[in-house]
Amino acid sequence: MDLLEFARGPALQVAVYILVAGTIWRIVGIVLLSKKPDYSEARGSGGLGAALKVIWTRAFTAEPFKKATLYPKIMAYVMHIGLFATIFLFTPHIVFFEGWTGFDWPGLPNSAIFFIAVATVVSGFALIIRRMTSPVLKLISNFDDYFSWFVTMLPLITGLLIPVRALFRYEDLLAIHILSVALLLIWLPFGKLGHTFLVFITRGTTGMVFERRGAKT
Amino acid sequence: MKHRPTVGEILQAKGVSRRGFLKYCATTASLLALPPSMIPRIAEAIENARRPSVIWLSFQECTGCTESLTRSASPTVEGLIFDAISLDYHHTLQAASGEQAEAARHAAMEENDGSYLVLVDGSIPMANPGYSTIAGISNYDMLMETVKGAAAVVAIGSCAAFGGLPGADPNPTGAVAVQDLVTDKPVINVPGCPPIPMVMTAVLSQFLTFGKIPDLDKHGRPLAFFGNTIHDRCYRRPFYEQGKFAESFDDKGAKAGWCLYKLGCKGPTTYNACATVKWNSGTSFPIESGHPCLGCSEPRFWDKGGFYEPLSTGKFGSGAKVAGAAVAGVALGAVAAAAGRRRQAKYTKEA
Amino acid sequence: MTTVDGRHTLDREAERIAYKPPEIRHDKQGDMSTEERVDHAMHHFVKNFNTQIASYLDGCLHCGMCADACHYHVRTDDPRYTPIWKIELFKQAYKREVGPFAFFYRLFGFKKKVTVDQLEEWQHLLYDSCTVCGRCSLVCPMGIDIAGMVSMARHGMFKAGLVPHELHETAKRAAETGSPLGITPEKFEERLEWMADEHEVDIPLDVEKADVLAVMSSIEIQKYPQSMAATAKILNAAGESWTFRTDGFEATNFGMLSGNTEWQKEASMKLIDAAIKIGAKTLVLPECGHAYMAMRWMGANMYGKPLPFKVQHISEYLADALNTGKIKVKKVDKSVTYHDPCQVSRRGGATQAAREVLKHLGVDFREMPNGGDYNWCCGGGGGVVTIKRADELRHRVFKLKMDQVEATEADELLSSCANCRQSFDDSQEHFSWDYTMGSLMEMVAENLEEQTS
Repeated sequence: MDLLEFARGPALQVAVYILVAGTIWRIVGIVLLSKKPDYSEARGSGGLGAALKVIWTRAFTAEPFKKATLYPKIMAYVMHIGLFATIFLFTPHIVFFEGWTGFDWPGLPNSAIFFIAVATVVSGFALIIRRMTSPVLKLISNFDDYFSWFVTMLPLITGLLIPVRALFRYEDLLAIHILSVALLLIWLPFGKLGHTFLVFITRGTTGMVFERRGAKT
Repeated sequence: MKHRPTVGEILQAKGVSRRGFLKYCATTASLLALPPSMIPRIAEAIENARRPSVIWLSFQECTGCTESLTRSASPTVEGLIFDAISLDYHHTLQAASGEQAEAARHAAMEENDGSYLVLVDGSIPMANPGYSTIAGISNYDMLMETVKGAAAVVAIGSCAAFGGLPGADPNPTGAVAVQDLVTDKPVINVPGCPPIPMVMTAVLSQFLTFGKIPDLDKHGRPLAFFGNTIHDRCYRRPFYEQGKFAESFDDKGAKAGWCLYKLGCKGPTTYNACATVKWNSGTSFPIESGHPCLGCSEPRFWDKGGFYEPLSTGKFGSGAKVAGAAVAGVALGAVAAAAGRRRQAKYTKEA
Repeated sequence: MTTVDGRHTLDREAERIAYKPPEIRHDKQGDMSTEERVDHAMHHFVKNFNTQIASYLDGCLHCGMCADACHYHVRTDDPRYTPIWKIELFKQAYKREVGPFAFFYRLFGFKKKVTVDQLEEWQHLLYDSCTVCGRCSLVCPMGIDIAGMVSMARHGMFKAGLVPHELHETAKRAAETGSPLGITPEKFEERLEWMADEHEVDIPLDVEKADVLAVMSSIEIQKYPQSMAATAKILNAAGESWTFRTDGFEATNFGMLSGNTEWQKEASMKLIDAAIKIGAKTLVLPECGHAYMAMRWMGANMYGKPLPFKVQHISEYLADALNTGKIKVKKVDKSVTYHDPCQVSRRGGATQAAREVLKHLGVDFREMPNGGDYNWCCGGGGGVVTIKRADELRHRVFKLKMDQVEATEADELLSSCANCRQSFDDSQEHFSWDYTMGSLMEMVAENLEEQTS
């Protein structure tokens, strides 16, 4: 079995199993903890609608906080949107997902994806430099923050090496890229990358609790 | 010993003009990425070459490699050059058979000890020698005996180079490649299913000219022809970059000649000269004819995912195993939550 | 606009307060061993880790945006005042004890057990530099309610005997006497009589059955006693059947502020029991911020079931009464700006009530920049105003308030929380500022129109 077959085969499979098990473990481990009942008289319904609303609105910063948080916010947007585009709008990736889900959708031209991926890497570096230099972030950051950044950047960088055919032969670059994705999938449920699924719980819960009080969400 | 005419003499006798011959040498030089200054050297080498003795062994094969090589509408210079090699033994092409044929092989081996070339096509079955025999001799025995005095061995076609179709899962005959068995002689792999005719003859020409093994890649393939991927030389590459793909055979995109990546083309991971040298004297190659590349010059290409499965299709493991992982997650989460709650209850009691 | 006091010229440009971090003073209560303190802290952190809190503590991204919303950080640039950092020990305890991967955190030591030195260091962060104002909770992109968790972390700190001295003493006094300022029922009655007399208003006390139970905060009883008279005037004008009760009059809840859940419950139950006793339909809370949070949103949970009466902040009561015509007010020809108490508006959901009242008063209402739900905290809530060593810090953040109010160029500054009022008064004196905070309720009381019923 060569490196590419290993990467696409057993490595990816094991990564998916760990991703699924780890994600569900973390969610169940949180959701099955005790719940505090609330007997106070509700002002709002505090139901699913409130949860969904806040899941959407917290992606945007409220006006009074915008100025202070503008720079990291823009970098984070570039990073997330760039990741979304490179992962889901690049045709070889779309083909990958089609093999899995059966769904197909149009992609962007490769040159556009290349440009977006480069912008995403730049935003990633901008953010890590900020994390290492800002007094607040230096204080509160830990291993999880730096490692999560690393496993997110690695697929982007190894992916960018492929069209430029740098360092290794195509099939080895592809194998390394897929292995870096496997690493990302394995780490995802355990560190702060878990926010991919936790965000729905945290925002949703706050939405429900605060809307029930009629308080600002 | 009977006079063995030089290749040049033979060509002359067959009526090949000097110009025609030099044109061939120029093409060969170009194919091998050699400068024009090398043309006279190639010409001299081939001209004065004593027809080297070549023993061609055919094992578990479909004869497609021989067919490819001899495919010509009218005699081509390649074909003639090949005639100019002393092809002392070839199952398919020779007239003799049986003990006579084997005697011819042994004679050639003795006469040219240390200098003859062994060309092999087909894989060698190891599970049971009886799966493939010639004149009652197993492929393995014949191979090992014949290569003893060889100068070099050329494994022609993917079966000889990597095991090919017989070697595909579940490999009932225990088929192996030449390089798996021959470890003390230089082995050049010229894979393809079949290989391009011009590639085969150019490799031989290169060997004749320089008398040494050409630069090989990690799979033992001459870099001159197997140094680039189909993808990097494919004329449809701009469509790949633009994101224009044929979604199914004969659809609008296919008719427009768009990239065949989504139909399973293995071009990006396949090293061969099809996209530049092409087939049938440069007529076309599979992609140009509308069919995705099968990756036939790569090791074990039969087992590398379906021909119509795109390259980026991953293997996610079975649905059952993923479901199992989900169940494991639920169990672990429940245990963790229970442990957490117990700790909480303990502290609530303590207050 | 009042004239500026010439003795203390106001120079807003100069770096007024060279900020010195407060003296390193780790207040301790009780004589527990180090281990006991750590254990108590951990146990009482852990008691709070339910699904909601667990998701918050697991979901933090360390993005640092909360720092940009916190007045303490914004005015000092001290990274330790980053809100999520204030509950770092709380978070550590969660991951180590109750989180989904807690077993592995303990096994491999990914999170160490909290040490007593850390707990002492964090006393300053959890008490001196947090008013539980909740701005951080609004900015967090994950929607984490950081402020709420600061309150919870205080549970551990209290049981570990690591509460700032003055706050602890105040809470203790409240638990022992029923009032943080030691106002006994007798004293309360005395001051009610005094106000009834001075303002010529009927103030019912200890009536057996009434629809409305009114309560006061000790700050008002002691420092702003006219609030009692104003309350009476309003409830009388509305024609309510209402009363004060000596067996349940204290709206403040220093148990909640200091982190003692037993004392919190006791204080709440006093009011609840009194309201039930008189068969009240409504409990009207006074101009106090945290009293609203304690009773309106946490009261029923202390009680263990839904309360058999409505709970309203006085501003909500006024809005209702004005909207339904129960009371009428004269128009006030002034420009007014309003400081929203964090626990009533942003955290409590009653932001609009005050605005409705002001509308009825017909004032030229000027919203502050960053006002309403995003208002900057007065800096004195959450018990901070009691902590002397935090005075410098509190004054430093007050600049935000001064700028905010002055931007409106309003004639009057009103609010509906006596603790904010206290904080503003103290800072006003410190800075010789020309704005004095007034009370929304008092303005209504002063401008009641006689109803011909």
